[in-house]
Amino acid sequence: MSAPELVTVTIDERSVQVPKGTGIVETAAAAGIEIPVFCYEPRLGAAVGACRMCLVEVEGMPPKPQAGCTLFAQDGMVVKTARTSEMARVAQNATLEFILVNHPLDCPVCDKGGECPLQDLTFRYGPGNTRMTFDKRTFEKPIPISPAISIDRERCILCYRCTRFSESVSEDNQLVAVNRGAQTMIATFEDEPYTGAFTGNVTELCPVGALLPTQPRFEIRPWEFQAVPSVCGLCPVGCNIDVDQREGKIKRILSRNHPEVDEGWLCDKGRFGFSHLYAEDRITDPLRRVRSRGLEEISWEDALDDAERLLREANGRIAVALSGSETTEDAYALAKLVRKGLGAHTAMLPEEIGGGLDAFRAPLSAIRDAELIVVLGEDPVVERAPIVDLWLRKARRAGAEIVEIGPAGDVQIAPGTTARACRKLKSGELGDRLRASERAILIWSGGGAGGGSHLAALATDLGFADKPGCGAFFLPETANGRGVAEAWAAASDDEGPEPEPLGLLIVSGDEAAANPNVRALAEQAERVLAITMFHSLAVGWADLVLPGTSYLEREGTYVNVEGRIQRLRRTAIPPAPDELAWIAQLASRFEVELSPSPSLVFAELSERVFGGVTYEDLGEEARLPDRVPLEAAPAESADEPVPAKAPGGTLQLLRYRPLFSGAAVERVPELQFQRPAPEIELSVKDAKRLGVRRGEPVSVRSNGTSVQLRAAINKRLKAGVARIADDHARDLHPTVEVSK
Amino acid sequence: MLRIFRGAGLSHRFARETGGLVVSPQPVDTLKGFGVTFKQIFKKPLTMQYPEHKRPVYPRFRGRHRLWRHENGLEKCVGCSLCAAACPADCIRVVAAENTAENRVSPGERYARIYEINMSRCIFCGYCELACPFDAITLGNEYELAEYDRDDQIYTKDMLLAEPIKKVPVADAELYDTPIPYYRAHS
Repeated sequence: MSAPELVTVTIDERSVQVPKGTGIVETAAAAGIEIPVFCYEPRLGAAVGACRMCLVEVEGMPPKPQAGCTLFAQDGMVVKTARTSEMARVAQNATLEFILVNHPLDCPVCDKGGECPLQDLTFRYGPGNTRMTFDKRTFEKPIPISPAISIDRERCILCYRCTRFSESVSEDNQLVAVNRGAQTMIATFEDEPYTGAFTGNVTELCPVGALLPTQPRFEIRPWEFQAVPSVCGLCPVGCNIDVDQREGKIKRILSRNHPEVDEGWLCDKGRFGFSHLYAEDRITDPLRRVRSRGLEEISWEDALDDAERLLREANGRIAVALSGSETTEDAYALAKLVRKGLGAHTAMLPEEIGGGLDAFRAPLSAIRDAELIVVLGEDPVVERAPIVDLWLRKARRAGAEIVEIGPAGDVQIAPGTTARACRKLKSGELGDRLRASERAILIWSGGGAGGGSHLAALATDLGFADKPGCGAFFLPETANGRGVAEAWAAASDDEGPEPEPLGLLIVSGDEAAANPNVRALAEQAERVLAITMFHSLAVGWADLVLPGTSYLEREGTYVNVEGRIQRLRRTAIPPAPDELAWIAQLASRFEVELSPSPSLVFAELSERVFGGVTYEDLGEEARLPDRVPLEAAPAESADEPVPAKAPGGTLQLLRYRPLFSGAAVERVPELQFQRPAPEIELSVKDAKRLGVRRGEPVSVRSNGTSVQLRAAINKRLKAGVARIADDHARDLHPTVEVSK
Repeated sequence: MLRIFRGAGLSHRFARETGGLVVSPQPVDTLKGFGVTFKQIFKKPLTMQYPEHKRPVYPRFRGRHRLWRHENGLEKCVGCSLCAAACPADCIRVVAAENTAENRVSPGERYARIYEINMSRCIFCGYCELACPFDAITLGNEYELAEYDRDDQIYTKDMLLAEPIKKVPVADAELYDTPIPYYRAHS
């Protein structure tokens, strides 16, 4: 890319050089001058000049105030802001007076009060008094536009930030402005709840208290927060967040813009999901199984004694089931305890990324700059890594070509054949274009845990390693699957036999505790030690339960989908000591040296796998590590077994894990409406064959189990495939029969 | 004339010089001093027997806080926490909640579910009163805030909404009541 042409602009008699085409608001900021704005937000696309707050005087333009946000820097431009131009000052003052005509004076009651741009700018640019003596326009308030967000239309200043977000960022087109003139209001169609993965962002965009999250309603004032910079741990993207807490309790989560990871957006799961920490069935004390009464609470001393006894009795016949939601440090500590201290080397690891992709490492923002993107896989990207979906949308708006290869996509393939489709890309027309492109991205979203290796083989073949604009991403199921796998591998080089019979199964984390495969393994185990946050996940199968903590309650690091090591901080006081504290105590009983301090554990781990970086190096905005050149061609793992073709009259079941599912989301009342509806997605062809229309109830049967679901028709779905969310597909077999 | 002596050593020498008889070096001044003391015996005392009698305070004296209600019984406080924000001693804690139709505490949407002032921290600057947009909190004239327990120094919303309890019996209520200030009596 050639260096952009520089132009000289004079703002309030200060001369500043900026690249041509820079907005006047940014140009003024470069000159150290503020132009106040409400509606202007570069991330929402082209400026609209709706609020008129940015009025400036520009020499050589018509002698009236110009909206600064809609202008671009041109050579020799002379701009006067309210600081030097009386015209601009009067215009801005009048704009504020006009905005405030119908804005209620309920700042003491409004949750935005204290961090409200309208309040701040009125204080600095607005009239000190009001000339309006008539009654203000009133609306019913507050109205929930979804269980998680409420709207106060009296406060709305019609800046259209929220509708622009809905229209051109999340592209759901649900928030719109209805009516005209003074009666204009922001609404959803027919007052349906505003549903989607990213709705919460409008509460952060709103420059007044019109759109507010319902969770912290009236619980806090902005100056009472303590904001802790951390990282979201609910999906592999690892969005940077600011966790606002008061009196040790989390009240809300805001995004913290990391321009390479999330660009300041956050999904609703990450934003509203924190209240599972305060769920009623949260475990706060260790529990021991009692035959007659189920579980009884015991003290930590007893619990550690019990745990030691369980570990000794198992005599090395131990397996560990890891969730992928542990911090890298916790996983390392647990691995060191059982591998070094007990000689047990068997683990059930979460879906792994595979190191081969490090050779094609790129920031997620590379998706935005790409010209050709191939998305392989069976799961919708938004269900696995929601922010990646926003990057893809942004790329599409910028003119990139996106080819989806999967059971529901541009190129339709049968479930289970993603690896084959991936190999096919090495040749053919699309493969040639990928090879020729300087800015191409490959994304693997679900459909086989070996995806990382297939993707690495393809990217090697396409020569991505030498092209910095090209990258390959494997979207894993868990937030820190990568870090957990590396920590497990780093703890020891020894290998041991599979424990037979299994003496003790250590289940670490809620995802593992909810995993049916882990449950099946637990059936064979003599004893089960579970580390989990919730009663319902522990009851009935664990002999000893130790309370788990959440990603918001511990110090540590997560490794995200790009391979970026990001720092988690303790943002709330956990009801029980965190994992590392008691693992370290337990380790000392087995003569394993382990520090209870995350930074020391990370230092030890980092020496082995992360090249010795420290917490200080990571900082608050973690840098992406450099690409690791491949030494040999990546070994491709074997293809997933292709499910047998469904016999005539039946459909192949395609399950997916929805974004709004899992132990955390189940415990957040505000997110229940976002969980997938009991629907079965059918292709147009199958729906026609079965005579089923959209919304009609159908019964889905397989091997004796039957589920009643609503039919939904997906035009992109391959014929012969039916897609159901995991929540509703419970015990169904891979082949289902659908009938009215 | 007697010389003026300073210090113990001198008085010893004086005693020696006067042949062992110890006499005050200032007999006249001493008597003068006693005269003043005796004169006070017949005067009305200036001191007051606290706590039976109390000195009136100025009307703008800043003492114990009071939260107020509207005439219809609803609380004036909406729980905006501006008092807590203004408080330099950080002694006010407000936790707000939402009014519902069944439980309407204040007009509008929001009310203070918890309102606490830690009187042992308060410096009685009156900034909370200044900050309050609804005149919900004022500082009264009561200053008897001693407690046997520090926890009792935390005044809750119910305590602040109620009439201050006069813990100490007052002998002369007339005297204790705030007098009509001069500027008001003569205007």
